[in-house]
Amino acid sequence: MGSMTIGAKYKTTLKDPGTTGVLRMNEDNFTFTPNDPRSAMKLNVDFRSIKGHKFNKVDGSKPAPPLLNILKDSDKGGGYMFEFDNVSNRDLCRDFVARVLGKQQGTVPPRLSVLPENSITSSGPEQLSSAEMQWRMKLLQEDSELQKLHKKFVLGNILQESEFWATRKNLLDDEANKGSKQRPGFKSAMLADVRPSADGRTNKVTFSLTTEIIHQIFAVKPAVHRAFLDFVPKKMTEKDFWTKYFRAEYLLRTKNIVAATAEAAEDEELAIFLKNDDIVAKEARLKIKRVDPTLDMEADAGDDYIHLLDHGIIRDGSKVTIDTDSDLARRTLLQDLNRHAAVVLEGKTSDVELTDTKTVAEALAKSRKEPHSSSVSDDTNHERLAKVARMIEIEDLQAPRSLPYAPLCIKDPREYFDSQQANALRSLGGNNDGRHIRSSRLSADDAFHHLLDQISSVKVNGLNCPVVHSDVALKVLNELNEGISRSRRLNLKNPQEGLLGQIPRRTRDELMDHWTAIQELLRHFWSSYPITTTVLYNKVQRVKDAMTQIYQKLQDIKESAQPDVRHEISKLVKPMTQALDAAFNHDLDQQQKSSKAGNKPNGF
Amino acid sequence: MPISWSTATSTCSTPRWPASCPGRCRRSVSSCSTRHTTSITSALRLSVSASASRRWKALNETCGASRKRLIGRFKATDANRLRAEYNRLVDGLAQRGNLPISDAWLANPALPDDILKEAVPGNIRRAEHFLAVLRRLVRFLDGRLETETVENEMPVSFVASIHSQAGIDQKMLRFCYDRLHSLMLTLEITDTDEFMHIQTICDFATLIGTYTRGFSIITEPYDERMPDIRDPVIQLSCHDASLAIQPVFDRFQTVVITSGTLSPIDLYPRLLNFNPVISRSFTMSLTRDCICPMVLTRGSDQLPVSTKFDMRSDPGVVRNYGRLLLEMSSAVPDGIVCFFVSYSYMDGIVNSWNEMGILQDIMQHKLVFIETPDVVETTLALDNYRKACDCGRGAIFFSVARGKVAEGIDFDRHYGRLVIMFGVPFQYTLSRILLARLEYLRETFQIKEGDFLTFDALRQAAQCVGRVIRSKADYGMMIFADKRYSRHDKRSKLPGWILSHLHDAHLNLSTDMALHIAREFLRRMAQPYDKMGSGGNKTLLTEEDLQNMAQDAMEM
Repeated sequence: MGSMTIGAKYKTTLKDPGTTGVLRMNEDNFTFTPNDPRSAMKLNVDFRSIKGHKFNKVDGSKPAPPLLNILKDSDKGGGYMFEFDNVSNRDLCRDFVARVLGKQQGTVPPRLSVLPENSITSSGPEQLSSAEMQWRMKLLQEDSELQKLHKKFVLGNILQESEFWATRKNLLDDEANKGSKQRPGFKSAMLADVRPSADGRTNKVTFSLTTEIIHQIFAVKPAVHRAFLDFVPKKMTEKDFWTKYFRAEYLLRTKNIVAATAEAAEDEELAIFLKNDDIVAKEARLKIKRVDPTLDMEADAGDDYIHLLDHGIIRDGSKVTIDTDSDLARRTLLQDLNRHAAVVLEGKTSDVELTDTKTVAEALAKSRKEPHSSSVSDDTNHERLAKVARMIEIEDLQAPRSLPYAPLCIKDPREYFDSQQANALRSLGGNNDGRHIRSSRLSADDAFHHLLDQISSVKVNGLNCPVVHSDVALKVLNELNEGISRSRRLNLKNPQEGLLGQIPRRTRDELMDHWTAIQELLRHFWSSYPITTTVLYNKVQRVKDAMTQIYQKLQDIKESAQPDVRHEISKLVKPMTQALDAAFNHDLDQQQKSSKAGNKPNGF
Repeated sequence: MPISWSTATSTCSTPRWPASCPGRCRRSVSSCSTRHTTSITSALRLSVSASASRRWKALNETCGASRKRLIGRFKATDANRLRAEYNRLVDGLAQRGNLPISDAWLANPALPDDILKEAVPGNIRRAEHFLAVLRRLVRFLDGRLETETVENEMPVSFVASIHSQAGIDQKMLRFCYDRLHSLMLTLEITDTDEFMHIQTICDFATLIGTYTRGFSIITEPYDERMPDIRDPVIQLSCHDASLAIQPVFDRFQTVVITSGTLSPIDLYPRLLNFNPVISRSFTMSLTRDCICPMVLTRGSDQLPVSTKFDMRSDPGVVRNYGRLLLEMSSAVPDGIVCFFVSYSYMDGIVNSWNEMGILQDIMQHKLVFIETPDVVETTLALDNYRKACDCGRGAIFFSVARGKVAEGIDFDRHYGRLVIMFGVPFQYTLSRILLARLEYLRETFQIKEGDFLTFDALRQAAQCVGRVIRSKADYGMMIFADKRYSRHDKRSKLPGWILSHLHDAHLNLSTDMALHIAREFLRRMAQPYDKMGSGGNKTLLTEEDLQNMAQDAMEM
């Protein structure tokens, strides 16, 4: 890492005009020697007492001198402030300090880890809020993989701290936003649409229910939920309740309106299930006020003639005439689908273990009440206005907008390695089962002729000599044996382990690390194109160097591998090297292009 | 009690023009875009329909009630005001302060100038006389609804029969709209909803009294598809779109009509009856190939797919359509929009998919939302669809060509990365109104039925798939899933901006090939691209660029 010497001004406070002098830094300490030998501002500070650094943002808008503040203790705010002649000097210095600090703190065991969160950012706000630093630290501590990457690249001086985190901004935001774990939602499948199974012999249909299905039924049909809370167990048993429910469902399904009407007249509890869901209707009326105004078709209903119920498009060929007077439900599959999808989208609000119907019902009731109190019209109004504003702007002229999204939690990203590899291999034309197809030099025609010749020669000569030479036969047998044993070995293995299972653990881990490292590097590599600034250019160079190193390492692994797994390893490595090759080629192309063009595009 | 008596007449003869048209200046430019032109050329159904005798009775009662209320009101009103009104009516409508010749005409049925200048005929100037006339008219219409056969009449004969049976002549009919309007203004009636039905009757009367050609009055005692259920309807149908656009041409010196779906472009001057000074079709200036239209003719089993009448209920076709959607839903991110040829077809195919289990498979990938005839539900479904797209969950929206969603909702950006048009959205050809319209077009403009139907269907299809792309930075795919699109006579009627991106290799695809193309396309489009570009490839032009372009054009 060496040392560096640079001219700077030491300032005790921000207002202080400063003492000009020379700042010398090496890996262990930094010294400041004033130009005026009489000055008392001599410094000799050990880097171990330094906790971090800060710097200010310098842009053309205000004449501020570039400053670097090396902090002794981040809590007390004591430190050494230096002013530099220009920004690039300052940045050099800053990077040096960051590196030294990073190196120091990287060696500290992780439980104490004050990873160099404080030494951050080359652009953006001059210093990060402490909250963000804490998030970063937390992320690094939680995710050993991330920590490894961070150590490798940031401390290895391949990527800058800010670059490393820039791609993970979303990760930080998510953490900052909720900090809770991902909640399981409803299943996409329409569980509430229970299909009866008939045994074929008797006139009986059977519906089967699980708590999960019940939960979904309650969520999709709030009226059923309310009825359940009202009736069970005061008025009827749970079994009776569900029998009635499914009886009603069955009537609806068979579209037997006459029977449904008759049954509803007799049994008022059953009639509840046949009626339209008034709670859903009420919710719809509330929700319609909050929809995106550009979608609100109810608002401009009547502006045109599509809604008119004559013999036009809407009634095009519909088979059943609908009696509008009946208050019995006319639920269609389409409505069910809409309702279901809406419920799935809303998601579950409770995390209650689904063990018992009663608890399910009560938990749902509790969660239903909560959003009511919090729904403030003021808030929704604001949201509505924001939506309107978004719809009227012209997209071509805007920077891409990042929409809020539900983050995915993946338990172990490595589990997805296999599938990615499989895809890569498939695209290579290789097959997945560990055997490779020998390329045959003979065409089918040739083989056929050869065989014919042999047979005719046998016919002529008789079987006086063996058709196949013994050494050839042995070779073939050996080959076949090997193939069989290999495929048996594969089949006996846990199928989930796949390709990775066959390699020694150490190599496997090493490969995985390289894989994640390559992914990170490639991401940075491709995102820096087109190269428009020196910063990007330097970054690409650094990333390229790192990739070359990894490439070399991969080759080493391949060569040093045991012969029995070499083939598997080379297959695993192949997609990685290919990805790297593509990057190198791109880089080469770009260089050629720019050298051919003579003048560098974009001034670079 | 839902009453399906339409309010169509009062406004539909004039499509809603941009309200910003500068008022009285003759030199002003009026420009209209897709929605307006579509409403002119395709629909313009000045349909007044009354269905179901039961509903008719209810209507009759409300009309009666309206009249009684009117009478009650004017009895109570100051006689002087009625006197003043009488004088105004004598002087002619134009001189009234409350109906100046101004932009108010935009809201009225296209009234010829002479109505505005002429005085209201004497026998309906007095309010009670006018109400008696209305009563007779309603009774007459009531009688016509009793018919057992389908009748198709021209306005002239209809007016003649009104004259002979109800004793109302053409001139009185013509002034119904204005007379009622004036009466309601005089009585200072604010709850106009209650008088909606009587207004509809007056609108109807004014229209048949004004126009002698271009309209027909169709009386159907029942729906063609359900002959055993009595559901009488009187419909006043306008066949001539030029009637509606005529006031615009009269009023403005320069009219610009722009749209993305004006093709074939030479048909519009004939339909709208004008001579264009310049008619020009422009290509889209895209910086990259951001639309990818495809014609899918075969399913995954290589059998043809179509919504032709004899094929649409074939389980093989239904399954192939389902497989297509399933494969696409697993490959396309975010939103997918599907358009079907009609509500009943959509209902049928969704039910079939549900029974086949395809729908469940689709729902493993994306949530499904559907347009229904219920506006509130559709709005909520759309809102949820957008939410699902926003949060990354991904969703599919099922909609109907010619429906409200196809006409008015954009599925730009991630709200629609793929749009699938299942079938060719032909109109229901047995519809009486359509038949009457086709006959009129053939007789008046020598436009063949087949040509018009194809033109109309392909315009609708283009309208549907065009929902998916709204800007240069956007991208999306369009699949025309019907074997009939591969025929040149159909395909060539698509607008140029689609055709120019429709490669020959994409004209006869099966599901697997389409899937392959989709994957390639999405991978290419998802790359970040340089919006600044270079040279003529810029997404955003600066002022300087524009000046350069103008100079180039001058030199040429």
